[in-house]
Amino acid sequence: MRLPILAIIHQMEIAVIHIVTPENAAQYSEAMEQAYRLRHQVFVEEKRWTDLARPDGREIDTFDDDHALHMLALHEGRVVGYQRMLPTTRPYLLTAVLPDLCEVEPPCSPRVWEWTRYAVDRNHRDRGRILSPVGSALLTGIVEWGLESGVEAIVIEMNPLWLLRLVQLHFRVTPLGLPQPISGEDTVAVSAAFDHRTLKRLRETRGDAASVLTARPAARRRLAS
Amino acid sequence: MLPRLVDLTYDLFRSFDRAPTAEALNACLLQAVARLGVESTFAGVIPMPGTPRVRQAAHVLIDSTPRGWTEHYFKAGHLERDPTIRRLTTDPTPFLWSEIEPLYRRDPAATRVMNEASSFRLRQGFTVPLVTLDGRVAGFSFGAERLDLSPELRGMLQLVAAYAFGRSVLLSEGPVRSPVELTPREREALQWAAAGKSEWEIGEMMAISEHGAEKHLRSVHRKLGAASRAHAVAEAMRRGLIT
Repeated sequence: MRLPILAIIHQMEIAVIHIVTPENAAQYSEAMEQAYRLRHQVFVEEKRWTDLARPDGREIDTFDDDHALHMLALHEGRVVGYQRMLPTTRPYLLTAVLPDLCEVEPPCSPRVWEWTRYAVDRNHRDRGRILSPVGSALLTGIVEWGLESGVEAIVIEMNPLWLLRLVQLHFRVTPLGLPQPISGEDTVAVSAAFDHRTLKRLRETRGDAASVLTARPAARRRLAS
Repeated sequence: MLPRLVDLTYDLFRSFDRAPTAEALNACLLQAVARLGVESTFAGVIPMPGTPRVRQAAHVLIDSTPRGWTEHYFKAGHLERDPTIRRLTTDPTPFLWSEIEPLYRRDPAATRVMNEASSFRLRQGFTVPLVTLDGRVAGFSFGAERLDLSPELRGMLQLVAAYAFGRSVLLSEGPVRSPVELTPREREALQWAAAGKSEWEIGEMMAISEHGAEKHLRSVHRKLGAASRAHAVAEAMRRGLIT
């Protein structure tokens, strides 16, 4: 079967996920600048979460502290995707900003982290409704990082449309509340547990069994220890 | 105190996880939503426009609508006229069928679909639009004679529909995958079998008789539904029971 050349290039698109923590932040100062601007573009300019707007075009909030773990999807030296992981052992978005979404005891464990600020550059976004290569690389990054760090589940505040995707990817989803409109968009809080099957599924979906993570800084010790 | 909807949703998710087949899952779902007045469920991927009528029915994943309805629906070509289909391919938010009545009031063909549905105890309903992992639009409908849903119940049905759909897709993808547990001895015997050892050799290695080794392996075959030694080894590896 012959594929149009553009489709072939798209399939070969490789995004590598870099994990940024205080230990290696100095090396990533320029990339983090790009990441904050990508966040501003996606959340303020596109999604119209106007209370996050900042005159310098960098979307940074109080959770971008030393406890946050940033994941950057880099493609040809540019940040094309981003997500932020927050520990649930401290105040996090769900408990501090969106407590109404959570009707049960909120997760609080070194094995559970919150997934926030998922953002993919407009030019690398889902084609139609399909999860884009950058999007699935970011998600795979979470699972790879989690499996080797002792993290078992992520808390997500998301559009309910994501639920089916998560189930199909072998996440074991637990509802933390029922959907509610947040800034005009239906949002539900869930916790989604994963294991090696999830990783296998993601790799099948991506058609690539290689790790998406770059070599890690030494400080990425087991979180559970 | 009444159980909260979020807890009911949680319980349903976990019972879906345990359901061995899509039919069992749907039975469990129907039982749970019966108290809301829901009588039937219908779900599937929306066929691409132009899909021949005879092939449209193959897109159905879950169907507990009254006998005769689905067959009539596809045979009559209702798919193209069904206003719920039109609505869910253009707007991803869930809806009660009564809410879209203004959209098809002036369309006699669409009105006919809804009227005919009424005669199959599908007078009222709630449809949840879905998008599958591979980007296809799907829908999950709850049918009833009468359906009143609070915003909270709508939210619950939205979650339950997505979860039920996802589990049903997984169950329909491969052979039934109920969790299999091997005893440590069975696993050991199978691990040796995977290394190409004969029953006699396995017996030696495990310090049991050849007959004992055979017994362990037979039990493994039964648990995995395997037709041969090679099949058992392959299946056990696929499930991660041996390495």
